[in-house]
Amino acid sequence: MCLGIPAKIIAIDENNFGKAEYLGTRVRVNLSLLDEINIGDWVIIHAGFAITRLDEQEAQETLNLLREISQTDKNGF
Amino acid sequence: MEEFRQEEVTSALIKKIKKKIEAIGRSVRIMEVCGTHTMTVYRYGLKPILEESGVDLLSGPGCPVCITPDEYHEIIISLLTERPKTIVASFGDMTRVPTSKGSLQTAVPAASSRLKIVYSPAEALELASSYPDCEIIFFGAGFETTIPSIAFTVKEARARQLTNFSLLAACWLIPPPLRAILESAEVAIDGFLYPGHVSVIIGSAPYRFVAEEYKIPGTITGFEPNDVLLGIISILDQILEGKPQVAIEYRRAVKTNGNQKALALMAEVFEIRDAFWRGLGLIPQSGLALKKEYQEFDALKRFSLSLTPSIRSFNPSCRCGEVLRGVISPKDCPLFGQVCRPESPYGPCMVSHEGACLIHFKYGLRWSE
Ligand code: SF4
Repeated sequence: MCLGIPAKIIAIDENNFGKAEYLGTRVRVNLSLLDEINIGDWVIIHAGFAITRLDEQEAQETLNLLREISQTDKNGF
Repeated sequence: MEEFRQEEVTSALIKKIKKKIEAIGRSVRIMEVCGTHTMTVYRYGLKPILEESGVDLLSGPGCPVCITPDEYHEIIISLLTERPKTIVASFGDMTRVPTSKGSLQTAVPAASSRLKIVYSPAEALELASSYPDCEIIFFGAGFETTIPSIAFTVKEARARQLTNFSLLAACWLIPPPLRAILESAEVAIDGFLYPGHVSVIIGSAPYRFVAEEYKIPGTITGFEPNDVLLGIISILDQILEGKPQVAIEYRRAVKTNGNQKALALMAEVFEIRDAFWRGLGLIPQSGLALKKEYQEFDALKRFSLSLTPSIRSFNPSCRCGEVLRGVISPKDCPLFGQVCRPESPYGPCMVSHEGACLIHFKYGLRWSE
């Protein structure tokens, strides 16, 4: 039940609600649990609320780490 | 997102895990606290591969539907069947948990449709506005991931001056049962995969006692298969270095100090209390109750209900309790797959989508037979 869906914010209204999109599906999301959300940000949605903003730089760093591990594996050392 | 699933990377990660296990010189046992992690390791077929590699994963108490004791369901079923003009809203899985009074779905006549399944607590508020002459009770179950949205909903009920809305809080905190499991010493655990989305809210500090007092490694990790494997590698590294800590491998979502706004909201609306968990019994400071200032929204007070803890669950032969403590695997329960099946569950672990028994039934049978 702690399932969270990553989605991109595509609109924000004055009541602190956003419209978010993931894989072509659009959902209404309550943004009250977060500070400073902008259009274009990625968030994790749980039970209709955005619970965190995804940090692109951190995501990139994890991906780099994963690539490095797979590269090292390919090179055999 | 796809990149966190890439198979090429997955196999490189598994090789790395095997090497580390060789270096450790024995197999290790890791508890994945969260049901959503259980889902990942089963769905992507990681469980048997890891087992072969020397990593034994145990499911833990991280499914709110599973650990909510029967008495919560029983009082709400009684209320709903005895009291006219009452509507109960809850998450889908909560409505199918079998108790001595049946489940919310079987006990409440469908025709009266006084049971509403909601996806978000906020939908319960909309019901309160749509049915002004009915009492709306939100039977809200959840861990720290969900609790802030429940807190927000209660505050919103106050702001909208709703007088027909109340909450039956089945709200649970994740760190205290970890201490209970470690204190009982029923199973030897070498490390914990901490739940990613609970940690989004609480950060890493609340788990520190596991590393400091019990010297057990742990890592907060995400829910893609490669996230989980990175989390396991981090735990193996901590074992190899002899330096248990609370590592974060899910930095794109989790900040060290959590979501302060959500935590403040929780603290404003709820206070911490001792609570009974299915299978784990009374755990100090592990549950939440509405604060005095919000008592008008407390369904227990509003309808003079009392939660007398049941000593055992309705089906004494159901072994959910041991499953939740990581003592047995679902397949060790004699009822598993026999009389207890998804269409005829004997316990909540076969009801909930994050319950270990249902997950094992859906994904595990292909390799355990
Ligand atoms: S298989 Fe069924 S009866 Fe056995 S522990 Fe799981 S839910 Fe309970």
